Amino acid sequence: MVGLSEGEKHFIRGGIAQDLRADGRTRLQFRAVTVETGIIPQANGSARVRMGATEVIASVKAELGKPTILHPGKGKVSIYVDCSPTAAPMFEGRGSEELSAELSVALQRCLLGGKSGAGAAIDLSSLIVIEGKACWDLYIDGLVVSSDGNLLDALAAAIKVALSDTGIPKVNVSLNAETDGEPEFDISDEDFLQFDTSSVPVIVTLTKVGKHYIVDATSEEESQMSSAVSVSVNRLGQICGMTKRGGAGLDPSVIFDMISVAKHVSQRFISLLDSEIAAAEAADAE
Amino acid sequence: MSAAAAASGTYTPAAEAGGKRREKREELRRHLAEDADWPRADGRSIHDCRPAFMQTGPTTAASGSAYAEFGKTKVIVSVFGPRESKKAMLYSDTGRLNCSVSYTTFATGIRGQGLENKEYSGMLHKALEGAVMLHTFPKTTVDVFALVLESGGSDLPIIISCASLALADAGIMMYDLVTSVSVSCLGKNVIIDPTSDEEAWQDGGLMVSYMPTRREITQLTLTGEWSDGKITNAVELCMDACGKLCEILRERLKDTAVLESE
Repeated sequence: MVGLSEGEKHFIRGGIAQDLRADGRTRLQFRAVTVETGIIPQANGSARVRMGATEVIASVKAELGKPTILHPGKGKVSIYVDCSPTAAPMFEGRGSEELSAELSVALQRCLLGGKSGAGAAIDLSSLIVIEGKACWDLYIDGLVVSSDGNLLDALAAAIKVALSDTGIPKVNVSLNAETDGEPEFDISDEDFLQFDTSSVPVIVTLTKVGKHYIVDATSEEESQMSSAVSVSVNRLGQICGMTKRGGAGLDPSVIFDMISVAKHVSQRFISLLDSEIAAAEAADAE
Repeated sequence: MSAAAAASGTYTPAAEAGGKRREKREELRRHLAEDADWPRADGRSIHDCRPAFMQTGPTTAASGSAYAEFGKTKVIVSVFGPRESKKAMLYSDTGRLNCSVSYTTFATGIRGQGLENKEYSGMLHKALEGAVMLHTFPKTTVDVFALVLESGGSDLPIIISCASLALADAGIMMYDLVTSVSVSCLGKNVIIDPTSDEEAWQDGGLMVSYMPTRREITQLTLTGEWSDGKITNAVELCMDACGKLCEILRERLKDTAVLESE
């Protein structure tokens, strides 16, 4: 994937060991993040997030649907990720399938919470219109436009921003005798309900290179990793998802250490994102 | 089936596992005591695993195979190879591991529901690749095919444990056996080796794949909301259970070796 000479590999590993990476960052420093909201007019909410040369787009679409029989009081959320071949030639055809599936599963695991809905980023019961009859189905789609490492963190950040940009139209329900008691929906074009996005977590991936681990790895750095742990943490510092990537095994104590570092770093990342969201919304309003 | 009866054993973790964090565990136990008034449907206590029945060699055509039955969950894994990698593949000086997990259409209560677990193939691969000495068979591929005959909860961890037994049966070089155990978080309780009913109502889930002799975690996934102390306890509980399960796997391999030498 990434062609590196022995010298370059040595340079990257040596830099990480000395806490000075190839682009001048320290181990636990993120690349500059830029955020834009409302970039897709057809969607209910959308966002573009750039982290260095990595660029992703997330869109949120809401459609009226029917709740499942098992969970009549809950709406549905589905998350899918697509890697466009415009980002890298190896994403062409079926090449991106494995990566797309891996990213989708990781995001679902981190954002949708347990089966009972505990720890979910979005309160599913807030999506209900009429219990057992109608609910909002949220379709969250991520697109990788340009890939330079750390796709999972960027996608999770984009989804967080897109959700805070999302407006769900207000629905007026009228019960009509002519239609056999079936409710009629009048979807408002003007009134929108905002989401409570305070519990949407961010994902921090710690990539282990040599003995040390780094945040926000570029693809060159990722090619040197032995393993990586992605931890999703919400504003309260609670962990709501975790995945391990990379083949090499990890000592349990290293994992516990990584979790506590990820918790610490995530709070910094959340406040950074918050200020970016506020700035993006201010720019939108103008 | 007398050998089969002898082959089942439990691998419930010892209460004193992970002595260093015993205090934290006592804290967990206090939490559990507050909310421990619901027995599990199959009569187990929350830290009891289902009896593990494992056997090698159910399929004759494969290089190695294994069958596992944990309560209602029944899994069969066949390992083929090493064989020459497909011509279209790029040259590689390490071997390839090709993992595939499939469900029978009658494995679940609703027909064909097992097809939803598409990500399992990739997760099986990730759990095993750290344990297999891929450099010992360059330019070749080892196929690991898992079939879930009946899904009764904790499917993926059982597939992983069964696959590592099948790999060992096939004589593929490994650093260590990989065993895997999952726990579910239900309210304040952390219950081990959940059944599918328990998984359907869980607040959170955690799966650990572990190499007990090397003391390395090869795969770790977590969903739902967990507090920090709970994660540490749950991971240690899983690791201890993995160690016990590994003993069972080792016994099975020894049994096969004795049978062959006779």
